[in-house]
Amino acid sequence: MVDFGRVKKELQECNKDFDVSGIKVGPKGDTNLSHLLGTITGPVGTPYEGGTFKIDITLPDGYPFEPPKMRFATKVWHPNISSQSGAICLDILKDQWSPALTLKTTLLSVQALLSAPEPDDSQDAVVAQQYLKDYQTFIGTTHYWTNAFARTNAFARTYCVEEKGQKLVEMGFSEALVRSALESVGGDENLALEKLCSN
Amino acid sequence: MQNQDGQPAEPETETISSLPTSEVNDWANYRDDEVMQQHSAIQAEEAGKIPFVGDKEPLSSLAEEYKSGNPILLEKIKVLTEQYAAIRRTRGDGNCFFRSFMFAYLEHILESQDRAEIDRITVNVEQCRKTLLSLGYAEFTFEDFFSLFLEQLESVLSGKEACISHEELVQRSRDQSVSDYVVMFFRFITSGEIRKRLEFYEPFIQGLSNTSVEQFCKSSVEPMGEESDHVHITALSDALGVPIRIVYLDRSHDDKGSVSVNHHDFTPAAHEVTDANTGGAVALEPFITLLYRPGHYDILYPK
Repeated sequence: MVDFGRVKKELQECNKDFDVSGIKVGPKGDTNLSHLLGTITGPVGTPYEGGTFKIDITLPDGYPFEPPKMRFATKVWHPNISSQSGAICLDILKDQWSPALTLKTTLLSVQALLSAPEPDDSQDAVVAQQYLKDYQTFIGTTHYWTNAFARTNAFARTYCVEEKGQKLVEMGFSEALVRSALESVGGDENLALEKLCSN
Repeated sequence: MQNQDGQPAEPETETISSLPTSEVNDWANYRDDEVMQQHSAIQAEEAGKIPFVGDKEPLSSLAEEYKSGNPILLEKIKVLTEQYAAIRRTRGDGNCFFRSFMFAYLEHILESQDRAEIDRITVNVEQCRKTLLSLGYAEFTFEDFFSLFLEQLESVLSGKEACISHEELVQRSRDQSVSDYVVMFFRFITSGEIRKRLEFYEPFIQGLSNTSVEQFCKSSVEPMGEESDHVHITALSDALGVPIRIVYLDRSHDDKGSVSVNHHDFTPAAHEVTDANTGGAVALEPFITLLYRPGHYDILYPK
C-alpha cells in the first residue's frame, strides 16, 4: 500500500511555494492519490525557459521505499528524456532513490536535469547525438519544441508557427504540413521548405 | 522431386526461426521499469534463501562453509571459535550492517532490560531529529521511521505492557514493514551525523569515493541497499552513542605467516569515561559485535 498519509503531507508542502520553485503536484483526475500530475517550469536561461512541463506521476505500492514512476506528459527535446515516450533517465528515479527524497525534491532534480543535460548517459540517442555533434541545431530544436508544446498560452503556440510558417503557408502548403515539417527539422524554415519540397 | 511419398515438406519457418536473433539489440528494448521489476524479482528469489535476519547458528557452521577453502581463513575461524560461540547471518542485500546492528541492539536491550540505555539513546535520537531538521529535511520524510524505531525500543522493554518475546523480535526483524523502516531510520541517523560533522568526515569520504559529502550521503547512505563502510559505522556509532566491535575475517596475515584475527572498536566520543586512577579515557566494552567478511556483516556472539 502507498503511504497516503505521507503523500498528502507531500502535496501540501510541495504546493506552498510554487511561486518560488515553479513546481506543483496534484491528483491527476479523481481523488486517487497514487496517480498524480506534476508541473515544472523550464529553468531561466535555458532553451526550456518559458515552458511549463507536465509530468505524469504514478506511485508504486512500495512508495516511499520504491521510487515514484515519472514521465513527461509534455513533449520535450532533451538528451535524457525520450522525445517519443517522455521516459526520464535519472538515477534517483532508479537505484539511487531514497525515502529521504520527496516528490518535490525529485521534481526539482528533474528541473535541474533540464539545465544540465548528460548526453553521455542518454535516454534519447537522436537528441544526444544532436546535442554532441550539432549544438546550435539542438538549441534551435529545443526552443521550437518548448514553444510548440510547453507554452501554456495557446496564443504563443499559434504565434510561433504562424511567424515561422507564414511564408511556407503562403507558398501553398497546408498549415498542418508546415507544422509537422517544422517540427521534424527543429523549427528551421529553410530546412522545412526543403522537406516540404522533397515530399 | 524428393517428396514422392507425399509427406509434407519440413516447414521452412523452422529454419528461419532458428536463425540467431539479435539478442544484443533486444536489450535496448527493455525499459527502466522492466529492468527494475526484474531486479526486484531476483531480490525476492534471494530473499527466499536467506531471511533478513537468520537463526543463531554455532560457529562451527562458519568452519563448515570454508571446509575446503583458504587455509588462512580456516586458521582464523579456529581462533574465532575460542572467543565466540555463535553467528547469526543476515541477508546480503546491502543493508546487512544496519540490519545486523538493529537486531543486535534490540536483542541486547531485550536480554539486559537496560532502561537507562533506552533513556540514553532516546536523548540521542531526539538530538538526531533536531539535526535533520536543521539540515533542512522535511519532517514528514523521517518522522515515521523515527517513531517506528522508538516503538521497537519500547516493545523490547517490559513495562506497562508485556514486552515481546525473543521469537517475536526475530519475526519482526524478518518482517519487511518493520525491518526496512528501522534500516531506513539508521540511514537517516547516519546521513544526518555525517552532514553535521562535514569537516570531520570530508577527508574519509574523499578517500573512499572522491565525491562531496552531500553527494556521498545522497548516493551511498540514504538509498536502501547501499553498502556500509567504516564512515557509516563511525557516524552511526557516534550519533547514537553505541560502541560497536567489528571482527575482520579476511585472508590477511603477517610476514611470518602467523594468523591472528583483527578487530576494531568503533567508540563514540561521548561514550568514553574517565579512569579514576589514571585520568585517561577508558573506552567501554562494546556489547555489539559484528563479523565482517569483505562485503558483508553478520552478528557474532561472544562466549
